[in-house]
Amino acid sequence: MPYLMRRLQRLLIVLLVVTFSTFLLVSVLPGDAAYQIGGMDASPEEIEAIREDLGLNSPVILRYLSWVAGLIQGDWGTSLLTGESVWDALVERVPVSMQLMVMAQIMALTLAIPAGIIGAWRPDGPADRALTAVGFACVSMPGFMTAILLIYYVSLHLGWLPATGYEPMSAGLWANLKPMILPALSLALVEWTALMRTLRAEMISTLQENYISLARAKGMGTLRILLVHALRPSGFSTITILGLQVARLLGGAIILEQIFGIPGIGRLLVHAVYTRDLVVIQGCVTFFALTYVAVNFLVDLAYAWLDPRVREARSHG
Amino acid sequence: MADLSRAERAPRPAAPSGTAAPMDRAARNARAAAAHQKARRVGPVFWISLAWLALVTLAAVFADVLGLAAPDQSDWMALKAPPGTGGHLLGTDPLGRDVLSRVIHGARVSLTVGITAPVIGVGLGLILGLAAGYYRGWIDEVIGIVIDSWLAIPGLVILLLFSVLYGGSLFMVCLSLGLLFIPSAARITRAATLSCTGREYVLAARALGASDFRIITREVFPNIIWPLLAFVMIDIPIAIVVEGSLSFLGLSVQAPTPSWGGMISEGREYLEAAPHISLIPTAVMFLTVLSFNLAGDAMRRRVSGGRGGAI
Amino acid sequence: MTLQTPVLEVQDLRTAFVTARGMLQAVDGVSFRLERGQILAIVGESGSGKSVLSRSILGLLPRGAETSATAQVLLNGQDLTRLPERQLRRLRGRRASMIFQDPMTSLNPTLSIGAQIVEVLVFHMGLAKAAARARAAELLRSVGLPEPGLQLDRYPHQLSGGMRQRVAIAIALACEPDLLIADEPTTALDVTVQAEILDLLRREVRERQMSMILITHDMGIVAGHADEVAVMYAGRIVERAPVRPLFAQTRMPYTRALLDSIPQLSAPAHGRLEAIGGRPPDLVEPPPGCSFEPRCRFATARCRADAPPLQGDGVHSFACWHPLR
Repeated sequence: MPYLMRRLQRLLIVLLVVTFSTFLLVSVLPGDAAYQIGGMDASPEEIEAIREDLGLNSPVILRYLSWVAGLIQGDWGTSLLTGESVWDALVERVPVSMQLMVMAQIMALTLAIPAGIIGAWRPDGPADRALTAVGFACVSMPGFMTAILLIYYVSLHLGWLPATGYEPMSAGLWANLKPMILPALSLALVEWTALMRTLRAEMISTLQENYISLARAKGMGTLRILLVHALRPSGFSTITILGLQVARLLGGAIILEQIFGIPGIGRLLVHAVYTRDLVVIQGCVTFFALTYVAVNFLVDLAYAWLDPRVREARSHG
Repeated sequence: MADLSRAERAPRPAAPSGTAAPMDRAARNARAAAAHQKARRVGPVFWISLAWLALVTLAAVFADVLGLAAPDQSDWMALKAPPGTGGHLLGTDPLGRDVLSRVIHGARVSLTVGITAPVIGVGLGLILGLAAGYYRGWIDEVIGIVIDSWLAIPGLVILLLFSVLYGGSLFMVCLSLGLLFIPSAARITRAATLSCTGREYVLAARALGASDFRIITREVFPNIIWPLLAFVMIDIPIAIVVEGSLSFLGLSVQAPTPSWGGMISEGREYLEAAPHISLIPTAVMFLTVLSFNLAGDAMRRRVSGGRGGAI
Repeated sequence: MTLQTPVLEVQDLRTAFVTARGMLQAVDGVSFRLERGQILAIVGESGSGKSVLSRSILGLLPRGAETSATAQVLLNGQDLTRLPERQLRRLRGRRASMIFQDPMTSLNPTLSIGAQIVEVLVFHMGLAKAAARARAAELLRSVGLPEPGLQLDRYPHQLSGGMRQRVAIAIALACEPDLLIADEPTTALDVTVQAEILDLLRREVRERQMSMILITHDMGIVAGHADEVAVMYAGRIVERAPVRPLFAQTRMPYTRALLDSIPQLSAPAHGRLEAIGGRPPDLVEPPPGCSFEPRCRFATARCRADAPPLQGDGVHSFACWHPLR
């Protein structure tokens, strides 16, 4: 698996760079932890004492290494304000955000796959034009805007779903899902267009392939050609986008969790930003980078599943 | 074999189409060409988008001479006034400030960020992409890793970090937002530079002793300027949206400077009683972003004229 | 000769593409018949319209292409141009099937060989999956693939070009069609493999009493593997005869040029028609006279003004004012 190994190597380097930069950001740049603990009116001597205490005066590389060693052992530091363990906070919040994003991406794909196929089937036809127009409207609406409109209409006007709140899974499946529907939909409505357009574009070019001509010459129907012959070879870019979107989904989730009062990692981060709780911020960013690396590796694995050729070798930049 | 020739002698239409029916062919050709033209022409949607953008821009530029109430001036007699009442065309917000005035002043922030940030990002991306594509080797490798790392963190998180570290001045918002646009611009520049520097005329220029700077400006630059301008067009609405998100969280320009995202956020509490406070800036921002998207797409279509489809 | 219905009868087939410059007339009034058990070679340069012709027959044109309303394509007496798509699909791959030029791209890279054969058998013959699989293995054996049972689960990229073309042939033969259209089936293959594939095709066609249209630009292939020849130029048939008379007594200067361009063993396999200078005419604005006139050594004023019709003695026909002796 030379291709997968190469990708993994690159991803690990990225992880190294990102964690090191966030580490630098928090420990070297202005507003470092000592000031946070000591407060605005701490004397320089007090600050110095705290710095010594926190090990802030040893060489950066050493401090980075010991921080990474801590990360691996589950010691992600403690909040400068609440004293809560960052690791515990993440473990508690991450599944909530995960659920939100997975729900959103399922909704987005449910919209995007049929729409992309229809668009590729008759490009510039009436259905394609209508879907493109709807797609344009959706990308022109950031998640918080969609959320406001959905709250206004679905919650306040129709009264179907709650405007805010969160219930753990232990409260029952429906009780748990119900308040998540609107935030997930808000996210999905932003993201589905890119998926749809990508799938459409790649499928249009797939449909020009000789093997599609052969499938037609074999007498296969349009539906079968679209779903069996063209969909899978057209999945590459869509899956790439799916991977790239994870970063955007995380970004979108930050705001939507804020609006809908969902106790996920986004709320943790925004709260930390408001209170300048650098250790928590550092933990969140590290987590995001880890997620990115993991998701991208999954995307590479998905390539291999989609195209048997990749299983042997695939030279790709 | 007799059958064969019968088939061949079967009556052909009057004459081979090239000779007897030139009119018919000319007409058909004209029709086909017209159909192609139509696919490339920009429609009324494009002009409506442009008109809206012109309106918003003009209002933002001349906000101070339009005779509007100051955006931070409270009308204590008319709090949360619905549109059209108390002398406020679009109503007032919870502090009695004129929504129309605030929307127009908010446009200043959105348009400034929307245009400055992509220009900064694409400019920096251009430099990085050129360096990576032209020099290749370890420079390419390092820039690639930096860009990958940049992409590993959600854009909004990067912006949150910047706001913690450097605060939310208009300048900082433009700059930090601009940084988000580096990767895509750098990638396309790198690809274009790579394909360009492989060509013979560039190799020839090199062999003739042209300096790197000269080769880049003369040979590479003209080939990537249009794709990059297209990127600026694509990035403008994105920048407006991201600035909106940031100001929605209260982390963009600081109050009392009005911004669309901030206005939407402020009206959130009153969605039930006074929906206009949130919905008006929502509508204005939506229309602006949509117009940028539509205008950009129409221009892109005109350049490429996309068509396709097999079945 | 026999009075039975020919396998294929094409009448005045015209196909045009919508392009930015106007209508491109790729096939311009082609008529011919094909009897059971015969192999008809359609020869011409690239761009002569031979591939478009073959796709027009089965209604496999891309969007933006139109076939004229007056055209008739009779497969066993049934007019395909009048059939609704749904019924046409029942015939494609069943009564008439196609083999394409490049086996590297004509098999779906994401589906196993087996799946690509089985779906034809399931759709047209109504076989159950297991029965179709057994039949598919049998087909692979008959086209000369070693260990057919194992091949079923392999993917196209794991096979060589020749092997892939054998798979494509197996797919085409799966339902025992009456008509096989092979569009440059060997152009993309090595010279040694070319002969094997052509022999295989001819053997299968003869054994199964099928008819075949063999599309090629290579007169060398025509000589060894066809019964009759139709030479195409600029969307029309310009000479038509059984193989022997065509080679013995060529009438059209264009055919002569094609014959002169048969690659010698020493020449590269894809050497193309060096014998003829110039390029084929613009099919959007074709010249009023004979379409070969600008490139023809024997052209006169008459050739420039009037297009010669295709005529002959019932065995050998040609479209030329100044035929060779």
